[in-house]
Amino acid sequence: MEEKHTQWEPRIVAFLCNWCSYAGADLAGTSRLQYPPNTRTIRVPCAGRVNPLFIIRALMHGADGVLVSGCHPGDCHYLEGNYLARRRFALLKRLLEYLGIEEERVQFAWVSASEGGKFAQVVAEVTESVRALGPAQRLVRARDQEGAL
Amino acid sequence: MTDLSQAVRDAARRLLSDGLVDVVIGFEAGTLPLRSSPCFVRHAGEVERLVWNMSCENNLAKYLPRCSERVGVIAKGCDTRSIVGLLGEGRIERERVHIVGVPCQGMLDRRRIEGELAGREALDMQEGKGEVILHGDGFEIALEKERYLHASCRACRFRNPVIYDTLIGDPVAEGVAADEYAAVREFEAMPRGERWRFFEAQASKCIRCYACRNACPLCYCTECFAASTEPRWLNPSTDATDALVFQIMRVMHTAGRCVDCGACERACPVGLDLRLLTKKVEKDVEELFHYKAGLDVHERMPLSTFSPDDPGDFIR
Amino acid sequence: MRAVLLAKNQISVLLEALLQGHEVFAPVNDGGLIVFRQVDSPQQVVLGYHNSTLPPKRLFFPQTETVFCYGLEGAQLALEEPQPASGEKVLFGVRPCDARSFTLLDRVFAGGNHCDGCYLARRENYTVVGLSCTRPRATCFCSAVGGGPFSTAGSDVLVTDLGTDYFIEAVTDKGAVLVESLSGCREADEDSIRRRTEAQAAAEATLRGAISAEDMKRRLQEMWDDPLWDRLHEKCIGCGVCTYLCPTCHCFDIVDEGSEQRGRRLKIWDSCMFPLFTLHASGHNPRPTGKERWRQRLMHKFRYWTESHGEVGCVGCGRCVVNCPVNLDIRQVLNEIESLTKKVE
Repeated sequence: MEEKHTQWEPRIVAFLCNWCSYAGADLAGTSRLQYPPNTRTIRVPCAGRVNPLFIIRALMHGADGVLVSGCHPGDCHYLEGNYLARRRFALLKRLLEYLGIEEERVQFAWVSASEGGKFAQVVAEVTESVRALGPAQRLVRARDQEGAL
Repeated sequence: MTDLSQAVRDAARRLLSDGLVDVVIGFEAGTLPLRSSPCFVRHAGEVERLVWNMSCENNLAKYLPRCSERVGVIAKGCDTRSIVGLLGEGRIERERVHIVGVPCQGMLDRRRIEGELAGREALDMQEGKGEVILHGDGFEIALEKERYLHASCRACRFRNPVIYDTLIGDPVAEGVAADEYAAVREFEAMPRGERWRFFEAQASKCIRCYACRNACPLCYCTECFAASTEPRWLNPSTDATDALVFQIMRVMHTAGRCVDCGACERACPVGLDLRLLTKKVEKDVEELFHYKAGLDVHERMPLSTFSPDDPGDFIR
Repeated sequence: MRAVLLAKNQISVLLEALLQGHEVFAPVNDGGLIVFRQVDSPQQVVLGYHNSTLPPKRLFFPQTETVFCYGLEGAQLALEEPQPASGEKVLFGVRPCDARSFTLLDRVFAGGNHCDGCYLARRENYTVVGLSCTRPRATCFCSAVGGGPFSTAGSDVLVTDLGTDYFIEAVTDKGAVLVESLSGCREADEDSIRRRTEAQAAAEATLRGAISAEDMKRRLQEMWDDPLWDRLHEKCIGCGVCTYLCPTCHCFDIVDEGSEQRGRRLKIWDSCMFPLFTLHASGHNPRPTGKERWRQRLMHKFRYWTESHGEVGCVGCGRCVVNCPVNLDIRQVLNEIESLTKKVE
């Protein structure tokens, strides 16, 4: 069986909150804004729904990067979800960096439903910063290093 | 410290004979020289079993959530902070627990002492004024107590119980560790790759026995995320990734609740440096949210609340 | 069986010779922890130790083991079973308690009608060189459970430290082959044989008076419902230290992981001390609390094993005693049971 020579492309899992960020992503699409196709989107009701385990599990199973995006502080559909998430993610980000996981691999954003442009820009920036890091090798289950996403 | 044994017994006797509690949880002499062991005393006549010395290293708050009886618990400074945490989280009812607080000057790190023995077996330990004297077959060693305290005790700033119903002995001078986060800062300054290799090596040694989790009073979930099969977050395997993810998430789950009692590190049979992780999260909680766990029953745990001014520079 | 003497300072020469023809597994110091690993030089080997923290059964029965891997290439399913190295192996410096544990594990994994291929593939081709205990610890109780500091069960060769020399004796035919192959040794003379016998007697004498597991099967059969069980487990925090450090514990879980394209089946240690160990799919758990689980641990080791195999399922190594985070001492429990049931007689 011949080896397939494919250029490595970063695989980024994006957790987008339903009310703001997912809508913002949708707006980017309907506005026909171009942005890299490297994200796989998972829609969640709120950024506060995102368990740190989701982020870590994505990294374990071969994601090169993770993006979590929610509503701007004060605009959360569930009032406080993003505030709670902000605290949780602040701790997680510092902890992952401390462990030696490159900090650009896990990134966070506030993107509102009207910010199609911002969404496209965030995805572009995150993708490029993950591309510069190369394939994720830390925290990846050995078995998944060949790619299971 | 040894003269407090009698005071502990007297307090326990009073609680039991006055019918204030159904059981007193304290320590009894262990079966090995450097150990004591949690014990459950139900009759006033049994209180002579109780001891108090520098090997009383377990955090007895662990036993409180599962006790349905009225409990008297012998608690040192850190243990009382765990009790504050459990009270705040609604895991125990204040009226059901009688806290016998004991000001503590630190517990001995038996593993470091065993290291000094270099393979020789201690058969007997005696506590002197400033030293512990170990006897074995053909040897006797005196070790300076201060130098062999647990790392968590050397960093401790809450030697005196923060909550109690009965106080045993006199308050002690509070610890004045120069910087309780010194080890964490030193580690933070290491290059990233070196930090990763350190944790990878640590994770490879972990045998997933969960002694750390089970020794922790705050790990009281009836089903731990690590045991979940639906969804299966991680395998119970010794693959370094699985082991590391367990440690990461345990530390995230105890974030803002951990009081650095050190029970996890003391329980670990393979000597993992667990406090290097727990202390890091404790430091971040203090820096980010200006919060120290286990001091105020009415204060909400930091991850269950928020402030509009919480740091958010890391968010695009 | 043949016995030879080797000057102690020549041990590295012996190890070097063993390394030539075999894969050698011996105790090494891994950051303060004594564990059994494959070595490639005599300098890595630690012999002045009491016992390893982690038992050597891990060489035959790893904590995490791949049973098979699968991969889908188009419509072709490829199944791969890992093959452990099949060369000649020597396990050097095992204490008699651990060597005896191999005989117990062999009953589980390599006896009867059903053998565990993974275990067998690792277990074969090993010559076990035991190291007798001239200075048993206060926490050892091998003699009380059918073993002893100079027991040869499970060993092919037994090495005894006589101070200036190692006394090396063949136990099995396989061991005799190894002893024959050694160079730099001299025939064991009467004096050394006498000293070896005395060393055994002295070691065994220190263990007299350690717990008595005598007749434990009968006592345990009588006390299933005894209120003692309500008290015994109270301080247990339900971790897996005792089970995972035990040389004879052998319970495991089978876990599948992967996707449609690729994956593997894993065999991973499990512990009867964990709450979910006996959780049924219906939601019923026959061992719902620590009481039932602790009772089970004791029953399994000291009653069921004796009922099924005629010997106690514990080798008295003392690891659980030394490492239990709350110093729940199995010896103390056995003594208590003995004193309780004696009254009934």
